[in-house]
Amino acid sequence: MDKLYYRLRIYRSVVGINIKEVLAYNFWFWSQIGAHVLLTIAYISFWKALYSERDTIAGLNMQQTLTYIILARIVMPLVQWGYTQEFGYWIREGTISSELLRPVDFQERIYIGHLTRTFISLAQQLIVVGSLALFVFKISLPTDPLVWLSFLISLLLGCSILFCFDWIFGCIAFYSTEVWGLQVVRGSVLLLFSGVLLPLTMLPTELQTIAKWLPFAQSVSVPVSILSGMTPLSELDSIWLQQLVWLGVMFMLSRLMFNFSVRKITVQGG
Amino acid sequence: MLRYLKLYWYFVIQRFKILMEYRLNFFIGSISTVLFQGASLVALWAVLRQVPSIQGWTFEQILLIYGLLTLSKGINHLFADNLWVVGRDYIRPGQFDRFLVRPINPLFHLLADRICHDAIGDFIVGLSLVSYAMVQLQLPINLASIGFIILMVISGGIIFIALNLITAATSFWIMDSIAVTNVVFHTNEFAQYPLTFYHRSIGVLLTWLVPYGFASYYPASYLLGHEIGWMAWLAPLVALVCIMIAYKVWLLGLRNYGSTGS
Repeated sequence: MDKLYYRLRIYRSVVGINIKEVLAYNFWFWSQIGAHVLLTIAYISFWKALYSERDTIAGLNMQQTLTYIILARIVMPLVQWGYTQEFGYWIREGTISSELLRPVDFQERIYIGHLTRTFISLAQQLIVVGSLALFVFKISLPTDPLVWLSFLISLLLGCSILFCFDWIFGCIAFYSTEVWGLQVVRGSVLLLFSGVLLPLTMLPTELQTIAKWLPFAQSVSVPVSILSGMTPLSELDSIWLQQLVWLGVMFMLSRLMFNFSVRKITVQGG
Repeated sequence: MLRYLKLYWYFVIQRFKILMEYRLNFFIGSISTVLFQGASLVALWAVLRQVPSIQGWTFEQILLIYGLLTLSKGINHLFADNLWVVGRDYIRPGQFDRFLVRPINPLFHLLADRICHDAIGDFIVGLSLVSYAMVQLQLPINLASIGFIILMVISGGIIFIALNLITAATSFWIMDSIAVTNVVFHTNEFAQYPLTFYHRSIGVLLTWLVPYGFASYYPASYLLGHEIGWMAWLAPLVALVCIMIAYKVWLLGLRNYGSTGS
């Protein structure tokens, strides 16, 4: 019991530090939001132009697609980056050695920080992009609290799956010591196969199959489809089950991969 | 002038020596832009294969616009990428003073300090898209059309550089300009598609305030034979005006520069 209390106390400060870190870079934050909003306007206009001459594309009508797109834009900043850069930094600067010496589990601590950032970012995006959707584009967001709750659970699972994947992916940096290239590959694959650019059902079937076997869709397409009403709530059981299986596998692999590859580290000058 | 060309060549050689030390990074940098843009283009294709056209624009026609914009962006990326970080990497750490005590133009020195080879990716994507679109659309490929494209791409590149120069100059007042540049630069994403897709105000904005439209939509319309009159030939003039204003702003900032102390 005491031990649990001790851990909770540590995590409370991890959460606090992450909140402070996010809020410290105010100017940069607004700039990012500004650029994101501009791009969102461009996207929405593109899709509106696309629908101006027809009622459905790939079986989706304009309202469905626009709702999906705007919600995907809200989720996108949450999943964009991953942890390759951090892994590179920890190794290059050698801070990994002191990180590993701390009395709490390394991955767990980073994960708590990651979730804090994710949900702050979600709140910010909901406020900014959400009001853009409501007031400028007149796109109605769902009002049923049950749908929102299901979305949040699915998003939490999806972001955890992606986190474990990024952990595995980041471990490659132990071998390659090259992170920019890894980042680029991850970013491009995510762009196409996560569903941030378009509803995945619009992709050709072969690409849809690939998307299904990659973890990226779990964090964007799956939760956003629930929230935009494309996935009926009756399918939730099987979706959550799938996500839990994904999470279980990814988590095990991430532990194995990290414990295995951490032995490879050479800290320069350490 | 000749002296500056020689100097520039010297800077390029030095840069390549650095790059060749890290060959893997050189390669990855070059293909990084190709990968990112490839992903967006596949998504665009996936949507547009299901419809014949959007408001009269076909997939190939949109690719032509996209390709022209990418080429102009590549020019900016290659020659003027250092403008992004003038605040963070030069002014804040006091590195900028180095330029002021040397007998060459500080702006020239800043730009020549880092030629960004990642732009190779932009040129690969842009050239492939423009040639693919020209062939598919059966547009005439002759000296006149190639000359027109080169003129427009250079003008577009100068427009990109001018806008980045203006936003970069703000760092003389606010130390770090990346956030400002970031917002203004990203308005170019509107110019990836025909300006007619947007609300009228966005079209006006992209033509007269942040004139990225001259790097893509207007030259593409001319090549496709759309009736846009003298707007087709305005890009060089717009580029000239932009770069002159930008250089004035830069000089104004430079006069305001007070270094970082000690």
